[in-house]
Amino acid sequence: MPEPGTFVLYSSVRPPLHAGDYVLRGTQEVAGGPVEPYAGNVRITAPRYTMPPDQVLSTFPPANAEGSFSSRLPQIVLRRRTLPWERDAGAGGTAATPWLALVVIAEGEGQLSGETPVGQCVTPGVTLTGPGDVASSVYLAVTKTVVDAVFPTKDDLPLLAHVREVDVNDTELIQGDDDGWLAVVLANRLPQEGKRYLACLINVEGQLPVLPVPKPPGQWTADIFDSKVVVQDFRGTSKTLDADSYVMGNVKTTQQIGGLGIAQDLTAQATTDAPKASAAKQIGAATTAQDWQATPRKIEDIAVSATAEDAYRVVRDGMGIGFRIPIEGIAAEPTYRFPVLAHWSFTCTGAGDFQSLMMNLDVGLLGTLPKEPPAPPPGAPPPPPRTRPLPEVAETGHVGLQHLTRRGDPAVAWFRGPLSPQVTERQQPDKDGRLPVAHVSDQIRRIVPDGREDLTYAAAFEIGRLLALAQPSVVAALLLWRADQFGAERAHRVVGTISDDLGIFKDVLDGRPTGAALGSLFAKQLLITAGAATGKVFGPSRPVADPGRPLSFIEGDVDRAAALGLGLDLGALTEAARQVGIVGALGATAVPVASLDRQEPVVEGPDVDHLRGALEASAALLAADVTKRGARSVAAGGRPDRLDVLLGLITEVES
Amino acid sequence: MKVQFSATEALDVAIAANVDATFSTVEEHPELGDRVVPADLRDWLARLRLLESVPFNYLVPDAELLPLESIRFFYLDRVWTDALVQGALSVGTVASADRAQLESVYPYVRDEVDEEERLIRLPLLNEDSEGAPEPTPQAPGGVVSGFLLRSRAVSGWPGLHVRAYREELAEGDDAQIPESDPRRVRLIRLERLAPAVLLGLFDGVPKVVHVEEPRQGIQFGVELRAVAGQPGVYESLLRLRDVLTAEELPCPPNDPFCAQSTVNVPFRQGSPGVLDMTELNKRMIANAGAHMGQDVDSAEFAMQVLQFPYRQVFGDPNQGTDIADVFRPSIALTTLKVHYENVLDVG
Repeated sequence: MPEPGTFVLYSSVRPPLHAGDYVLRGTQEVAGGPVEPYAGNVRITAPRYTMPPDQVLSTFPPANAEGSFSSRLPQIVLRRRTLPWERDAGAGGTAATPWLALVVIAEGEGQLSGETPVGQCVTPGVTLTGPGDVASSVYLAVTKTVVDAVFPTKDDLPLLAHVREVDVNDTELIQGDDDGWLAVVLANRLPQEGKRYLACLINVEGQLPVLPVPKPPGQWTADIFDSKVVVQDFRGTSKTLDADSYVMGNVKTTQQIGGLGIAQDLTAQATTDAPKASAAKQIGAATTAQDWQATPRKIEDIAVSATAEDAYRVVRDGMGIGFRIPIEGIAAEPTYRFPVLAHWSFTCTGAGDFQSLMMNLDVGLLGTLPKEPPAPPPGAPPPPPRTRPLPEVAETGHVGLQHLTRRGDPAVAWFRGPLSPQVTERQQPDKDGRLPVAHVSDQIRRIVPDGREDLTYAAAFEIGRLLALAQPSVVAALLLWRADQFGAERAHRVVGTISDDLGIFKDVLDGRPTGAALGSLFAKQLLITAGAATGKVFGPSRPVADPGRPLSFIEGDVDRAAALGLGLDLGALTEAARQVGIVGALGATAVPVASLDRQEPVVEGPDVDHLRGALEASAALLAADVTKRGARSVAAGGRPDRLDVLLGLITEVES
Repeated sequence: MKVQFSATEALDVAIAANVDATFSTVEEHPELGDRVVPADLRDWLARLRLLESVPFNYLVPDAELLPLESIRFFYLDRVWTDALVQGALSVGTVASADRAQLESVYPYVRDEVDEEERLIRLPLLNEDSEGAPEPTPQAPGGVVSGFLLRSRAVSGWPGLHVRAYREELAEGDDAQIPESDPRRVRLIRLERLAPAVLLGLFDGVPKVVHVEEPRQGIQFGVELRAVAGQPGVYESLLRLRDVLTAEELPCPPNDPFCAQSTVNVPFRQGSPGVLDMTELNKRMIANAGAHMGQDVDSAEFAMQVLQFPYRQVFGDPNQGTDIADVFRPSIALTTLKVHYENVLDVG
């Protein structure tokens, strides 16, 4: 990892094998007989026609940007360091020759296709063997003129791709699983001012011989950059198709060029009609100027109007606007196709880099008027006169502005914005901590010694009022807040005035609640106070549990009742209790239990009938509880006393 | 329980409450303490104070005050922004009672908005800085200064870095100063008002202001110079680096593209802007100071065309004086104060 704030440049990082299909063969010699040789198929993959979006880290200039890029080479940064060398560039290349090149195409110089099967994405006659990565992609079609003028030479290619190792900790661009290694592909072309460009990362596999060959320096090198030269411009010969008709495949359109109405059927016209085209070119130049103005806006509109799923595709497509001229049908010279792995468009608005712009800034305090333009050199035409006079500016930064008074008199009033060339003194609170507040803007209109009005602060007041009024939520918040604050204060004082009768709320009010909270706090306090003296407020309260009904049969001697109920001998029990206590005696005494081996009944006589009757009644009652119908039938059986069978039994035993 | 309370008493109480109210806390701010003004209102007023949504022609009443390709520094007129806030607060004050209420609550509003306006940009700053978050500034508002920059640099380089410092930096103009440096003057607003107009407000009066090219990516390029008398025609220069040390070859400070350390970048004939790299390589190799050897590889080429972010420093070219002195107005402040006492002393 490099030092923080530094990075390391490498000329290339080449993988040991290029992408493609390989057979891994192995033979083994073992004593005792031949061994079947091993043949394993290995496929090494790499992008070929489309760059996966996650492999593109950044581009410069940014996609769809507009700016002064004239002195900067466009570049694309790829995340995988080996990407530019993962494929064999083909005949004519060396190991260092990347298969990727970044070319920058001005409007009118080339055509960006729609989705096309990959077999047709290369110049006809060239076939790329080996596996591809996708079934369809886009290609760039350019004429031989453009290739010779703009494309890098075969020897330039290795110089335009390099690898950079950066300190990951130092930058927010690189996060997650990145190791800080990046591959950078540069373009070889500085953009010209006032032009829109399409930057295409193209695959030059198998097409190295197509690239330009340097001529002798005298015919090849120029020392100046003439930004007015045009390489080739097909825009005059056709009107670019809009994104919609292109996406819809509606390529066959009748063209209307400029205001003359020259009709051209693009598909029908295979060759250029020279006089017509040159006439159209002049008209086209005027109309395309407007197209340029509109292009970034158009793409923004496309981005906003597209659905989320389509946005990526549609915006990509929108960037191709201006690069849809079917050049192959128009040009009278050889054309070439190159698969485009990634593309983006940008507009170069002027020359000058950041440094020269900043160094030539006119620096001053606000209120400084611009410097007079330098006097023209002798013989040059004088500069055009000012369209409007310079403003009247006072040393305080005040500007004299036309003002129509309320009576309708035209006058000149002073005004200064909130930005002043001097420190102004703020009002300080008086000894009571009060500050003057203006309630209407007229309160802060001033007449200055030169007799004119100074509307500075009145205007500030008025715009503040209008800005607040423009937002109903702010107005509501202001009113609510004041009502809150002063409502609470009033309530506090009212309660204070009416003595201690309502003193229970004193704690609430001392907490200084706001008006909105006041109601609920009063209610809560009322409940707390009421809860503290429920007897006074609500009357006597009910006990938590009621006593049960008195049980008459356990009145008197408990031992006797227990002994009777359990069928024990009371005398023996009392005797035993004397020695070990009643609990011990009960524990030691066996309870008579009816045993199965006894032949004679436990209870005999009428008691049996009585008990059986009571048992049946109980069973019937239980059944009635389970099934309501049964209960009715039992009731119909004429047993009046079915309220409490146990109680009835006990009563009878007692009697 | 019955309470007697007459209308006269009610009126007296209400008036007393308006004039001499004790205000309730609506919010306990974790750092600033108790607040009387609700948070959303405070936030809106603070943003208003920082001139958000104030029409641009109120800021710059005449286009000539901010010509093309210019930067203008200023002090924020606190009286103006106070008038702005008073205008906003005046909404809905219909009766005298409302106005009495406003008068008694206004000092709280002013103080709390003073503190709030310095917090508007704070969350972002805290996220950026590493380690402990910055302490929340709690003093009442002091002098606010700022600048308006109108340039193609704003539209062409979105995301400029702006930093301001209380004093000249002893480390030099190129030093990397951490965000947490105590000499830094906090930005309380930095916003593009129009594609080419940038407004910055500082919490204080800086002595040095740095405007730096965005650092999002390292760029590659050359220096273009217009050829005199031929509009649209440029010659292109490249100051070479020694590829062994990555240092630029020496040049006198007043001529950063001196002949012995610079090559003239050749282009392909008839192809505007397309570099003639074969010839460029020859020229670079010919300069012995660059130690390019016999061949140019892509790392060497990249190093030569690397362009680091540029930092423009605004400050006093003669160190030691206040930045305001550099642009001293022609009339002394005291004289102006007498002249415009009425203007300044509002209310």
